[in-house]
Amino acid sequence: MHGTRHLRGEPLFGNARERVTGETRYVFDAEVPRMLHGKLLRSPHAHALIRRIDTAPALAIPGVVCVVTGADLAGLADPLYGVALRDQPVIGVDRVRYVGDVVAAVVAVDEHTAFRATQAIVVDYEPLPAVMTMADALAPGAPTLFEGPTPGVAPGVGNMSQSIVDPAPNVPYEYRFGYGDATRALQDAARVFTDTFDISRINHFMLEPYVNVARWTGSRLEMWSCNQDPFVLRADLARIFGLPVTGVRVHTPPVGGGFGGKSYCKMEPLVALMARKARAPVRLALSMDEGLLTLVKHPASLTLTTGVDHDGRLIARQAEVMIDGGAYIDASALVAIKLGYRVGGPYRWQAIASRVRVVRTCTVPSGSFRGFGGTQASWASERQMDMIAQRLGRDPVDFRLANLLKPHEPFAPNERGIDCDFAFELDRLAATMRAPTRDTTRGVGFAIGLKDAGGTGNHAQALVRITQSGDVVVSAAAVDVGQNAPAALCRLATDEIGLPLAAASYASIDTDHSPPDNGTHVSCATMVTGLAVQMAARDARAQVLQFAADRLDCSPAELSLEGWNVRRGNTDYPLEPMIRRYYGGIGWEFIGRGAFKQPYDADTPLGARNMSWMPCWSAAEVSVDTETGLVTVHRLVVGADAGRALDKAVCLGQIEGAAAQAFGQALFEELRYRGDLPENATPITYRVPRAGDMPSAFEGFVAEHGLGIGPGGLKGIGEAGMLGIAAAIANAIQYASGACMTSMPFTPERVLAALDAHSATLLDPSK
Amino acid sequence: MISVSVTLNGVPRQFEVSPRDVLADVLREQCGLTGCKVGCDQGVCGACTVLADDRPVAACATFMFKIDGAQITTVEGLASDDTLHRVQAAFLACGAFQCGFCTSGMILSVVALLAEHPDPDEQTIRTWLGGNLCRCTGYGPIVAAVREAALHDALVTV
Repeated sequence: MHGTRHLRGEPLFGNARERVTGETRYVFDAEVPRMLHGKLLRSPHAHALIRRIDTAPALAIPGVVCVVTGADLAGLADPLYGVALRDQPVIGVDRVRYVGDVVAAVVAVDEHTAFRATQAIVVDYEPLPAVMTMADALAPGAPTLFEGPTPGVAPGVGNMSQSIVDPAPNVPYEYRFGYGDATRALQDAARVFTDTFDISRINHFMLEPYVNVARWTGSRLEMWSCNQDPFVLRADLARIFGLPVTGVRVHTPPVGGGFGGKSYCKMEPLVALMARKARAPVRLALSMDEGLLTLVKHPASLTLTTGVDHDGRLIARQAEVMIDGGAYIDASALVAIKLGYRVGGPYRWQAIASRVRVVRTCTVPSGSFRGFGGTQASWASERQMDMIAQRLGRDPVDFRLANLLKPHEPFAPNERGIDCDFAFELDRLAATMRAPTRDTTRGVGFAIGLKDAGGTGNHAQALVRITQSGDVVVSAAAVDVGQNAPAALCRLATDEIGLPLAAASYASIDTDHSPPDNGTHVSCATMVTGLAVQMAARDARAQVLQFAADRLDCSPAELSLEGWNVRRGNTDYPLEPMIRRYYGGIGWEFIGRGAFKQPYDADTPLGARNMSWMPCWSAAEVSVDTETGLVTVHRLVVGADAGRALDKAVCLGQIEGAAAQAFGQALFEELRYRGDLPENATPITYRVPRAGDMPSAFEGFVAEHGLGIGPGGLKGIGEAGMLGIAAAIANAIQYASGACMTSMPFTPERVLAALDAHSATLLDPSK
Repeated sequence: MISVSVTLNGVPRQFEVSPRDVLADVLREQCGLTGCKVGCDQGVCGACTVLADDRPVAACATFMFKIDGAQITTVEGLASDDTLHRVQAAFLACGAFQCGFCTSGMILSVVALLAEHPDPDEQTIRTWLGGNLCRCTGYGPIVAAVREAALHDALVTV
């Protein structure tokens, strides 16, 4: 295709120098004149009515400007936020629903004063019985967190899906997906296996805290936000404050880590409300403790019933899934959809039937986290694949190979075909991991995580401007969250135009000027926004050629662009003097416009054709100390398909970084509750992987199967590394020790319990 | 108020501080040295690491009154004009960062590491970096950057 002939091997570390000199300005570093500071008071109760809030002692402290409480929500057009369904008040009104729920927000001249003032506020609570687990919440007669129906709208889905709001008490949402007759197929299966898997609660733990600065000018709101989704945020703020979207301006500088935690609305409306009441700009930076109480990945329980035929072919799967949404719905409905859809994994089925229920509990809200339901689905599915292979006496790799979807085969009826070769990479991985030289006291496990990616019916717009000197400015809303999207988009633009990457820069994101997109998640920036950028670059390039053709009195077809010259026949014409001569003054910019939209299609399972498939080939080599239960991962290999890699090092960074997060979740990382209280919601006690925790051999690889629909066959890879790691490690643990792990993390205690269960089975053959 | 004198990135400075003031706040708010990032504010994550008399300290947990007379180096004090410190250059060459929020602190930790262990082995590197969390990379490129930096002279023109 056109763009690829310009491909060069330039590395993508475009704006990297400022990262190593400390010059990158994050929202954390933003300052505006007269800026005040906020601090929040949070609930110590898991569930309670707020009877009265006495802010007078706080207001009496010198330097305190105002205190915002639920009473201040009265003037808002809509005091609730959430994704599609909306149940989270901007600040607690009459009730708190988890330890950490916000009840009051102080604005003061500095953070110290604001913090002291929060401690002076007196709140009179009436404790209510709390539901801390999904079982508690679903028990007959359990206390409910909300009265009345969940506000908002059910997310749209396709004909093979059902989207159900409020099906039961403490269940705000249920998603059903299926094709074929799973009940019948399971009746006809030679063997049927039912297993239940649990997945733990983890936090994003990004290093830049949740931080926002809000400023009002008249009735117009301006925010500097760490949010990954500037235009989603703009729409939310406009709805909440009753403003036109143009009444809200969001600036999004580089973000210091998000991993989904900074997608969709979080603290932003509250900071805006604080600034409005204070009549001055306000900065609110949460502490890391508060970050731990803001959002987590969904804990879940998945029961998979899977049937195989006499030849070991997968026939059908039923999935009964509960995800713990925590106190507020946030993005839970969308996570439920994606989880339910992905539960079949990369295999061929006659029938699938899945049901995912979102359960409300008095815990930290769950929402977006790298993988978005795919982590939960892949963990259970890939773990069960190994357990089935063992029971059938089959080799787990061969069992997978016999059932994997082939390239171009549809994932589900009326769905896009598979855009990579699952079997090829699994084969290769197995050959490496099973080299005859390996230590046979260790276990080796494999997994292929899978999710759809790019978004459902996603779209993006972009502008590409070329100055008269041949400098390029790429303007889009893809946020730099560390994945280096700006450099990737600049690369796509300059490849299309035929100018060097160094000639391009990425415009800072400002909703007053940037073309919109749906947010930087679902691994869509390079693919979806990339397609819009490619089109914009093509448009700008065509304008350049048309301009030159007009000057040279010929057809654009006679011209080619060679750097910043046009060539006609054997003659090169430098463009800059041509443009200067014609336009004079400050010269001219060629402004190309691009857009991409994946159309909705009700006949597809999700309501639009999926854009790309995101596999995560994973393999682990482990040993287990059967005395202590300690698992040592000696080697961890993880790979993903970039379709076409714009820069392999950057792709590897994404794959390995995600895998490191999954590794932590698999072995030790977990936000735990003891009774009503979070047990380790502090940076000291919430343990994330450190340099010394990583396996001694930790290797990533980038596959380039070239079948992506993005420019030149590329697709996103940002979430991939998260998907297969836990299952690969658990599968390896079973081969190393016999311990059958079905819940995370694989702590020594859990492994010892599983070893005991395994010994009991060996002693008692009836089990 | 207490008077505290330090040499900050080679320049003598005097600060009038309260007993509760910590180095990170003075660097960021009074000196505009925002390369010092505050992640956890509890001395756990290492993002705010700076050098005090060539030893890494968590600026968020270092009281100003404790460092009277010290030489303080922040990330802004490593490079000059078009010259990067070898550790910065190595981080750049190895792509040893993604979001970059941990990078200043990580780089200063590595500067101290190489001062103490000019040719560190992998175990030493990983143990030394135990006080600096990175949530983005999985640490592989960072360890590679330390090895790369160890090969070079102190300043590299980039």
